[in-house]
Amino acid sequence: MKKHMGKLRIYFAASSIVFLVVLAISPLKDFFREWKLNQYEYNNLIKELPQRVRPVEVGIKQLWIQKLDRIDRCVTCHLGLKEPALKQVRQPFRTHPLIDHDVEEFGCTVCHEGQGPATTYKESVGKVKYWDQPIFPTKFMEASCAKCHKERVVPHAPTLTLGRKLIEEANCVACHNIEGFQKQWTPSLDGIGSKVNRTWLVNWLKNPKAYFAKTRMPNFLLSDEEANILADFLMTFKTFPNEATLDGLPMVLTSRSEAQREKLVELGSTRFREARCISCHPINGKGGYVATDLGTVASKASVRWLYNYIKTPKRFQPGVEMPRYRFSETELAGIVAYIQSEFVDYEMERAESEVAHKPDPAYYEKGLALFKKYNCSGCHELAGMKKAEEMGPDLTFIGSKKLYEIDFGKSGIEQTIPSYLLTKVKDPRVFSASMKMPSYEFTDEEAQAITVALLGNTGERIPEELKVYPKPRSTYSPQGEFGKLVDDLACFGCHTVFGRGRLIATDLSLEASQAQRKWIEGYFKVPYSLRPILTERMPNLFLSDAEIRVLVEYMEKVFLADSLEREIRADQDRIAKGKILYYEKYGCQACHQINLKGGYVGPALDKVGSRLKPGWVFHWLKNPQAFKPESIEPNNKLTNDEAEALTAFLMSLK
Amino acid sequence: MKQVLKKLVESQVWHSIFRHGLPESNRTRAETIFYNFFLHIHPTKVRKRSVKFTYTWGLGGLSFGLFIVLTVTGALLMLYYRPSVPQAYWDMKDLEFVVSSGQFLRNMHRWAAHAMVAVVFLHMLRVFYTGSYRPPKEFNWVIGVLLLVLTILLSYTGYLLPWDQLAFWGISVGTNMVRAIPFGLGEKISFLLLGGNSVGENALVRFYVLHCFILPVAGTILMGIHFWRVRKDGGV
Repeated sequence: MKKHMGKLRIYFAASSIVFLVVLAISPLKDFFREWKLNQYEYNNLIKELPQRVRPVEVGIKQLWIQKLDRIDRCVTCHLGLKEPALKQVRQPFRTHPLIDHDVEEFGCTVCHEGQGPATTYKESVGKVKYWDQPIFPTKFMEASCAKCHKERVVPHAPTLTLGRKLIEEANCVACHNIEGFQKQWTPSLDGIGSKVNRTWLVNWLKNPKAYFAKTRMPNFLLSDEEANILADFLMTFKTFPNEATLDGLPMVLTSRSEAQREKLVELGSTRFREARCISCHPINGKGGYVATDLGTVASKASVRWLYNYIKTPKRFQPGVEMPRYRFSETELAGIVAYIQSEFVDYEMERAESEVAHKPDPAYYEKGLALFKKYNCSGCHELAGMKKAEEMGPDLTFIGSKKLYEIDFGKSGIEQTIPSYLLTKVKDPRVFSASMKMPSYEFTDEEAQAITVALLGNTGERIPEELKVYPKPRSTYSPQGEFGKLVDDLACFGCHTVFGRGRLIATDLSLEASQAQRKWIEGYFKVPYSLRPILTERMPNLFLSDAEIRVLVEYMEKVFLADSLEREIRADQDRIAKGKILYYEKYGCQACHQINLKGGYVGPALDKVGSRLKPGWVFHWLKNPQAFKPESIEPNNKLTNDEAEALTAFLMSLK
Repeated sequence: MKQVLKKLVESQVWHSIFRHGLPESNRTRAETIFYNFFLHIHPTKVRKRSVKFTYTWGLGGLSFGLFIVLTVTGALLMLYYRPSVPQAYWDMKDLEFVVSSGQFLRNMHRWAAHAMVAVVFLHMLRVFYTGSYRPPKEFNWVIGVLLLVLTILLSYTGYLLPWDQLAFWGISVGTNMVRAIPFGLGEKISFLLLGGNSVGENALVRFYVLHCFILPVAGTILMGIHFWRVRKDGGV
């Protein structure tokens, strides 16, 4: 019995020790937690820095963002977020790149995702079981801005801004639901049968970018058969919108005399240049990119259509932003003759004569089916057909789509939403050949930008007061004679006034405060570029004197601000003082030319005294960025005296 | 030293707690058992056969031990856990990420709970195979079965408390099974359990109260009776 008891005691002692050790594991683990080690390391690290940095008091740190309903403990280890001295140290201590948002106000995970309450690296990154929002890849970081920033141009987010621009330009909303985008204008197809050459149409349908490299029309990857059927179908639509009809060609254009013809072509060539068609239209890829390439337009469109369209563009293509030039009958004929002689695709015409085309007997039904299958009416008007409803998937909340809702096919890519979107945008049919989305041939950079913009469309609930919405669309719409002219000349196609229009050319909202009336009048007659390096230059619209008067009188009344009026007394002393300031103190000649001397970054200043108004020059010199935020002219913080002297000098240059 | 000890044993404080002398005679030994709250449940005499470890495997004692572990860890977990929809899940996450040894507490509670179900079941098997349910122990067998049911219910009600997907669907499935009870009773019982027609805030609070108060208290009372009977029938 005694022996037995001794043995029991040994068992008891041994098991007690085992228990004690087991019990010690938990407090030991607690003592050596990852975040504690990080904090010790941080305190050692900052001791070695030349700058004084406050050590951290050991303990869990957290940000409680009540309005976003988030608790982020990332700052337990990310200790140097706001410490400029720690820009070069290793993570997790490095300084956060400069952004406009305070980490204390917004926390971390609202942008970065990951598991906010976690206190270990692995768990906080969130690539763990039962956490479906792992940390966001840096590559797509700007998508998070989009949760609150709904405006088109998001500050400090160039990728997101580019993505939104591309989504708008590519007209994604023709097939997809995306919040905040409106359908873009695209040409109507009514009358296409009276406009284009069938062979051209087949080539265009098969690969639009081969004709115009910057076209917005995507490639639907049609087979030869499909392209032919669709072309045959489209060629049957010969009536223009609003029942507009093509006028007959004038006699001059149809006459066959060589000498007459040559003269006509020469006139056309001159007018073509004066009208600066290439400001908007490229020719074989060279020139502006606002409108389609004219390189081989004579082989694309019929002569009659060309003549009629240039004469009255909006009659055949309502809504198009092409100005109606005030050409005479002969000038018009000349331009058409010039186009006919220059812009021909001989190869296509040769190929066309070789192949005899036999249409499929059921081309109309099959063509209509194709037209519907690819949702052509999503973009293009044709015989009042309606766009297909819910063509592509709704993209309103694509950023928070669940992985199990997505079919990755046999693509073998990383199974995440960002990688899915990136691949899809770049190669729309890679997941399944039966998909209908066309190829936009986006570059890597563009595809990434679009992915970023799409990823930002999450269903996350954000308090309304944090959201930034785009400015409401400008309601400026001039009426009367002026309004009619503005519409006819498509001024808003290039210029912005009071928030309406495009910014290919200058904003004209303050034009009458800026430029002298005489100069504006002269400019309409003979437009020239202040900066010759620009491609898009003001065309000569060949306006009549009466029309110019209407335009200028309206501008003088509306396009100005009274606060910019200022009389500058100009005596010899002042002019001399201004000259010294110009050449010596501020060295303006580094960028501006006077009498062909000086740099060519800014516009030449000869005759600036006949162009600008003194009040404008004065205010501009005081603060150029107040008028043009992107201007690179330095703000020299001139005193009123200096600015007045400089203005007096500049205004003396007539 | 000996004198100090002697003085202590003869002091009034000592006498007020231990009314009898040291267990040196049969009488004082019996008194030690009678007057001690913790020992009074013992039978005054135990058969040598039933002391043998391989007869009982100590399964009843193990179950009781696990119950103690669960009560202690459970009480500590209650300090951090709030049974409400917005907080329950995050409190569990906080136990893992923030509370000192919080994960250890949770794991211990969880594993002890699993072990208790297993041990209680084995205990029942042992009792069955040793025929210990036979007269005069039929009543205690019934109480034992009730305790088994309570153990399983405790385990089940605890399942909802983390308020994650597993919990939500586990309870949804369970209460839907209850609905299958005929004569319209199922619907009523399910409604009573959930405090509604689906698993929500009310269900969470009900399960919490069941798990932390009603079921453990019921278990404690039944355990008292169970142990009393075991001892009086000469068990260990």
